[in-house]
Amino acid sequence: MRVVIAEDEALIRRGLELVLEAGGHEVVAAIGDADEMADAVARHRPDLVVTDIRMPPTHTDEGLVAALRIRSEHPGTAVVVLSQHVQRRYAKDLLAHGTDRVGYLLKQRIADVDTFLADLERVAGGGTALDPDVIAVMVGRARHSDSAVVSLTARQQEVLALVAEGRSNASIAAKLFLTEKAVVQHVSRIYTAFGLPPDADTHRRVHAVIRFLNRD
Amino acid sequence: MSAAPRTQPALSRSLRRALVIIALLSALLMITVIGLLPLDGPAGLLLVVLPIIFGIYVVAGLIAWLRRPSNRMGFLIVVAGLMVFIGGIANTEVPVLLAIGAVGATLALPATVHLLLAFPTGRLSDRRSRVLVTALYATSLVLQAPEYLLDPDGSYPPFAIADVPAVSAAIGTVQTVVATVMMTMVAFVLWERLRRADAGHRRVLIPLFSYGIFTVVFLPLIAIALDRVFHVDPTVRGMLQFAVVAGIPIAFTLGLLRGGFARTGELEELGTWLGAAGISRQPLVDALARTLGDPSLRLYFWAEDRGELLDAEGRTASESRTDPRRGWQEIALEERAIGAIEYDAALLTDRELVHTAGRIIAIAVERERLTADLRASRRALMRSRERIVEAADRERRSIARDLHDGLQVQLVLLALEAQQIASAPAQTVAERATRLRIDLDSAAAEVRTLVRDLVPAALVERGLSAAAEDLTDRMPISTVFESDVSDGGLSDLVETTTYFVLAEALANVVKHARASSVRVRLALEEGRLRLSVEDDGAGGASMDAGTGLRGLADRVEAIGGTISISSPPGAGTRVWTEVPCA
Repeated sequence: MRVVIAEDEALIRRGLELVLEAGGHEVVAAIGDADEMADAVARHRPDLVVTDIRMPPTHTDEGLVAALRIRSEHPGTAVVVLSQHVQRRYAKDLLAHGTDRVGYLLKQRIADVDTFLADLERVAGGGTALDPDVIAVMVGRARHSDSAVVSLTARQQEVLALVAEGRSNASIAAKLFLTEKAVVQHVSRIYTAFGLPPDADTHRRVHAVIRFLNRD
Repeated sequence: MSAAPRTQPALSRSLRRALVIIALLSALLMITVIGLLPLDGPAGLLLVVLPIIFGIYVVAGLIAWLRRPSNRMGFLIVVAGLMVFIGGIANTEVPVLLAIGAVGATLALPATVHLLLAFPTGRLSDRRSRVLVTALYATSLVLQAPEYLLDPDGSYPPFAIADVPAVSAAIGTVQTVVATVMMTMVAFVLWERLRRADAGHRRVLIPLFSYGIFTVVFLPLIAIALDRVFHVDPTVRGMLQFAVVAGIPIAFTLGLLRGGFARTGELEELGTWLGAAGISRQPLVDALARTLGDPSLRLYFWAEDRGELLDAEGRTASESRTDPRRGWQEIALEERAIGAIEYDAALLTDRELVHTAGRIIAIAVERERLTADLRASRRALMRSRERIVEAADRERRSIARDLHDGLQVQLVLLALEAQQIASAPAQTVAERATRLRIDLDSAAAEVRTLVRDLVPAALVERGLSAAAEDLTDRMPISTVFESDVSDGGLSDLVETTTYFVLAEALANVVKHARASSVRVRLALEEGRLRLSVEDDGAGGASMDAGTGLRGLADRVEAIGGTISISSPPGAGTRVWTEVPCA
């Protein structure tokens, strides 16, 4: 896939390039600030944009703002936002108009190269990749306030978190050392507890679960 | 004058030096003139009396001057003494002095009138007095002139330009008539003043004015009567006259220092003195006692913290207030009682005087109170600054410890592991490298937490609302977050301060409150940012009980805000802050 990288720290930018190229992807542009991002995306029409949140000129959240613009202006381009620190509000902003082709990960996840590349590929393929940290915040918060979440077993809560991260049943099964069949059963119980209609589509179920976790 | 010079020593010493010089010069003048007098002549020792009277004027005048530096009477008495002196030097045989004596022979009269009309302030307060005094001085100088100009047998023959003694005598009569008319007018003015004066002042004014008028108008007539009718020995007659004249400065000085108006001047002194810096309570009491002439006087100050009146030694006034022998005068400033004067009612019968003194004292008392307030708030400010510095110091140490004990150790172990992997059997390298990566991940996570605690990313990237939400999102108990604050409008200082209060309050809830839920509210009302953190826990928290809120309270107060805590045992804890942000 063709990728645009936006990251102001040269070492990380170069590291990202190396990781992506080693994974067999083409980096069409590697830029250092958010203003150039819109141009690069318009010019190169990449499959995926990987961007840092904090970038020049103000070093606040321009990466996120640019990512949200790309999502509305180029719906076919997948966006993965990286950050030193993840929070629920940014995830909500990114997922406000659907959970497809979007990712939000801690920057340090790059180090686990295989998982990182798998996450990027899943997002570029139309899926979702949310950081375990931000999902933990969402599940933790829901556990204090939502009886449906409280009623789940510990294992079901684990499955719920992985579903919310955007993982497929196969990936969840591998991660938890379960059979895919067992995962399907857990997911179906979660759906029943949440009062959601059964849906086998991985993309749509992320949306449903995230919406459920973030309800007030 | 024991207490006053303490506050203005330079000025007071300077005044004293000047007065000593005047005294020395006067003594010199007196001795010189006495030396020049023809003491073996027919008038003999009688001639010495006038210079001595001059000395009495100077001494009396200087005493008045020293005791009442802001009153001009002392100066006027000394000047009147000079006029008497000028009249006296005509008795010498030195031509120059004779000439001066001839010109100013009758100046003592207008000078005495001047004293009378200027009493007690030393100033001629109305136009009529000024005209009268000027006219009298003019009459004394101008109408005296024919006496030496037109009569070669007159007081100074060298000045004579014509020999018409009859004209001279006629003009002399005119002078007497004019002077008499003017003296009648002076008497009228003084009479009016007497009528306007209150009873207390009249007691002093009547004898003084009578003495003055008697001296100026009737002394010459009585001299004639004594001479012609009673045939008194001229030497005795002269001595009597001189005694009367010598009494004038003494009368004025006594009137000034002992009379009721004396204190008007003295109160001015008090006011001036209070204007000087650094007056504490005891000197204030002493100054007031001295001014009002009541050594038993006591001054009470309103003690805000105890809600009662206390004197300088901290005693209350309860028993003496009902004592009929003691007077009581409240001191108020802007209708607020700030103290009271307790005095001897028999000694000080003039309540108005005490009242006036109280008004002057009020400003000093109030200033003393404000100074104390200012000092207290300055001390509080210094303490708060110290605490802020200490808190920053503690924070730095804690960061250093976290880095050193946690991260540093982890990194050393990870470096060791990396080195071992280099020499590990090939088939285990992949697995051990992955484990190394995972350990590095957890070290990075630790750094992330550390950095988040120091400078929350959300606060930098978005603002307070986002950061507060992130904080509440991560609470291990049910947390409701409400905010009507949109990020981007508040200053960094306001946001950071409020954020850390929230972080500390939430940490306390988790650590101490044993609460099951907490509610956080952020609101922007009337230019003030309000934060409220309310839990349903055990309560009993306080600002000082090691909650870490004390240090934050200093930061909140440093930006003009307030922090409060309400934590009744068993009924939850509420912490709220208000910070101006307009």
